[in-house]
Amino acid sequence: MILDPILDVFRGKAVTIPPLDGAFRPNTRLDDAPAFAELPEPDNLLTAEGRLLVSSGNAVLAVAAGSEPAVVETFQSPVTALALSPTGELTVGLENGKLLIAGKEVSLPAELRCITALAYAGDGTLWLANGSAQHLPSQWAADLMKKGASGSLWRCEPGGIGFQRIAGDVAFPYGLHPIGNDVLVSESWRHQLVRFDGASGNRSTVLTHLPGYPARLSPAGDGGAWLTLFAPRNRLIEFVLQETHYRQDMIDQVPPAYWIAPALASNRSFLEPLQCGSIRTMGIHKPWSPSRSYGLVVKLDRTLQPQFSLHSRANGTRHGICSVAERDGRLFVASKGGDCVLALDAITGGF
Amino acid sequence: MTFRERLQAWRYNLVPDHLVGEILTKRWTDNAIPFLALVATLGVFGSIIPGFFKLNSLQESTRQLGEFSLVVIGMTVVMLGGGIDLSVGSIFALSCFSAVYVFFILEQSIWLALAAAWATGLIFGAINGYLVGYLRLRAFLTTLVTFIFGRALFDILVSTYAADVQLSQASSDVLDFIGDGTFWGLSVSVWLAVILAIVTHIALTRSRPGWHVLAVGGSRRSAHNAGIRVRRTVFMTYVFSGFCSSIGGFLIACRLSGAGPGTGLNLEIMALTAAVVGGVSLGGGRGSVVKGLMGAIIVLTMTNGLIRLGYGTGTNQMVLGILLAVAVTIDIRWLKNRHKVLNEVYVAPVYLKMGETQSAAPGSGTPYELDNRLSAADHIGLGELEGPEDVILDRDDHLYCGTRHGEIVRFFAPDYKRSEVFAHIGGFPLGLAFDRQGNLISCVGAMGLYSVSPDREVKRLSAETSRSWTSIVDDARLRDPNDCDIAPDGRIYFTDSTKRYDAHDWALDSIENRATGRLLVYDPKDGSTKTLLDGYRYTNGVCMAHDGKSLFFAESWACRVHRYWLEGPKAGTAECVIRDMPGYPDNINRASDGNYWMAWLGMRTPSFDLSLRHPDMRKRMTRRLPQDEWLFPNINTGGVVKFNETGGIVETLGDLSGAAHPMVTSMREHKGYLFVGGILNNRIGRYKISGADPNWTSPASYWGAKA
Repeated sequence: MILDPILDVFRGKAVTIPPLDGAFRPNTRLDDAPAFAELPEPDNLLTAEGRLLVSSGNAVLAVAAGSEPAVVETFQSPVTALALSPTGELTVGLENGKLLIAGKEVSLPAELRCITALAYAGDGTLWLANGSAQHLPSQWAADLMKKGASGSLWRCEPGGIGFQRIAGDVAFPYGLHPIGNDVLVSESWRHQLVRFDGASGNRSTVLTHLPGYPARLSPAGDGGAWLTLFAPRNRLIEFVLQETHYRQDMIDQVPPAYWIAPALASNRSFLEPLQCGSIRTMGIHKPWSPSRSYGLVVKLDRTLQPQFSLHSRANGTRHGICSVAERDGRLFVASKGGDCVLALDAITGGF
Repeated sequence: MTFRERLQAWRYNLVPDHLVGEILTKRWTDNAIPFLALVATLGVFGSIIPGFFKLNSLQESTRQLGEFSLVVIGMTVVMLGGGIDLSVGSIFALSCFSAVYVFFILEQSIWLALAAAWATGLIFGAINGYLVGYLRLRAFLTTLVTFIFGRALFDILVSTYAADVQLSQASSDVLDFIGDGTFWGLSVSVWLAVILAIVTHIALTRSRPGWHVLAVGGSRRSAHNAGIRVRRTVFMTYVFSGFCSSIGGFLIACRLSGAGPGTGLNLEIMALTAAVVGGVSLGGGRGSVVKGLMGAIIVLTMTNGLIRLGYGTGTNQMVLGILLAVAVTIDIRWLKNRHKVLNEVYVAPVYLKMGETQSAAPGSGTPYELDNRLSAADHIGLGELEGPEDVILDRDDHLYCGTRHGEIVRFFAPDYKRSEVFAHIGGFPLGLAFDRQGNLISCVGAMGLYSVSPDREVKRLSAETSRSWTSIVDDARLRDPNDCDIAPDGRIYFTDSTKRYDAHDWALDSIENRATGRLLVYDPKDGSTKTLLDGYRYTNGVCMAHDGKSLFFAESWACRVHRYWLEGPKAGTAECVIRDMPGYPDNINRASDGNYWMAWLGMRTPSFDLSLRHPDMRKRMTRRLPQDEWLFPNINTGGVVKFNETGGIVETLGDLSGAAHPMVTSMREHKGYLFVGGILNNRIGRYKISGADPNWTSPASYWGAKA
């Protein structure tokens, strides 16, 4: 309507989100895949010396086909990030803000308290994403609902004296993918992938308007990358983000599990918020209904453009995917909301 | 409570926002814009031109207005029939000339002059009508051609005969009276316009041909399919328009005693502007004579006013053009967006702070604690049924339920595998009850209270109650009759959940949360329906107490159950017996152990409870998000609660898996089993109640053992 621009001042614009189309066209490939291993809240996947490591709670476990996950190491606080150095040292970030390289604690600058991702570049440079200056990794929902943008990007050069801050004011960096000297960062709360220049720290956006909140990145066999999106964008949530008073009262008075906020898994309690489209009707939960949680893995090609994607839709259970790892043509997917690790063969596709 | 919250409560509970939407649902709001324009025009010109409303000045203006209104009435009828008539100006001028020629040159009687004018108008109207109606040429181009042709003819005739007319000696008292006289203070032209307006108005709104015109204008194809003779109807509208213009032409002939080159010049633009400004839609089918007349007054006041203020013809034409452009824009944009505006403003949420509730979470140890027992229920009619809101069993153990297709389905005892459509009512049958004679009484959503006899005869008992004095939308109509129960004396007590929304929009009512639910009673003795209680937040289930002296009814969005006394010292009053439940109550029915079963249609969530304290947020949500994205109470989990005579909670059953019975809207105990229904479910559940009386049935409890 021609008067819309004028009326919008008084009534606000319609809240919209990018559609799941093109490379993001929905399928059920994540729900079709059999579970490779079942364990509570698998977070970070890593292939090391032929083994598949996964973090779950305070522990790092090794999973293999046909056997129960075996604990490799346990820590004093939940593991929030994993990486393997070119020389084979296991690097672990913890919820309490500590960083361990091959079991030894590394001293960190005081402001580094929210390690969400770790990645080594080919030359041994360690990149570190600090999700937020105010919140711990487990309090990510609070950081989002308070519109946090206090994350930062850090780097430690091989044999260097310590971590240097490369960039600040990043809205929850949650994934790292070193490309030569530069690094690709998934900036969750802004739904975009940003490339930071290794020398100057200058940023350039690579992919914007993602249909979900991007989590970790990992290299793909063909030179591209895998991007996980841990939760979908939801119009009600985006609307609540615009509602100052309601959001503040919700943060103050409602238990975080029942917030109108993205989640790794949903429909587990009748105290969770429900949207009209998600009402179970005639025994059916519509797969296209609005949801707080979703399972989405995206393949990026060599030019970092989306190629195809794997989904677990609103009526599925393999939600909250925070990390994947590719090994020998197989893709391992850790579904934190679905409490399982999946293994997918023949991971090809296109649109 | 913070100051801001208190302010919100006042703002949204005391300011009646909902009235805006209710007023917009009225058809007469279409007239509001032209009416305001009329008042503004009269006000502006009346105040800046001294003596504008003086009798003399008015008399001259109204004479002109009478002639002009006649033309506008004709134009309005053509436009209502979906056409346009640009030739009114030239028909007007030619009719004027015909009258002048017959009277002054042929020196015939004034009545013959009138007949000549009429004939001219009818012939030109018939030409237009034939070309547009029967040959189906474009109305705009065809009448443009008639306009040019007629105007050219008029110019030739006027220049040829002007001198003869000047020299004519013919005169007539009748002509002078028509031209200058008044009758009861009003000129003949005004009288004629008023009479024609009344006749046309009655014809359009109360007669078959008038309806045909509106139907053709509204949708030609539908009118054709409905058997209306579209071509003839269109033809007649042009003939009528020609007729109207010819009367106007005759009147001006009498007033000016001649015809000049300026007669009827630009009249078609003025008439078109008047009709459109008045609110007659260019698309056809919408408008009225009154609107056309309002437009005529606006246009004539403006043009005359501007002339008297000293502006020339150019300015006048410019103002008319601007007026037409504005009116056309408003007409089209309003027609197209009216329902959108209505959608945006109709939902008007109110503030409510829900009371603290006990937890229903498993393991919480409260009487409300939900479990997974209902998921073990057998299913009946899985996949065949859609939307059994209520279920009931008769004395022969057959099972009845409503469906969203408007049917009452009967499942046969003993295994409930076979079913048949017992009766088709329409609407959405919700609450069910058997009366003493074995008639099945049903509250049918969107329709009213119905009765189905054992031999399947459907009878409407009630569809309205008395209207309240302050209502804007008609609240006599039952919009969402929900559940009913029958007192020992045969009177049927039932609920109408909301006055604001139709039955299928019941969920919108939970977002708005306005208290408009009612408890009503139908008396079969005299067939009357009375409103007993009003102002509850979605009245729902009704159940007669075991002793028949009071009844329980559920107030869904407030999570409360009330008891209404039928007799005793508190007769006619209601008291709240259960408050602040963690779930939203639906139907209530008797249990065999002297207690009562109550269905929970959904569960309260902290986020939704909080949103009830933020009406502004809910209002913006309904405007900025599509309905599928709106925040709702959690109706994916329900339950069945047993409570006793004093409102104490005995136990709670649930289906936490959500697979079989996510939302429970009703349950009925029968011979030791509990039959469970859900308005959004595709099955009826049958759950074995441990320790229940295996012989107890609801019909026996209400009406005694079988006679």
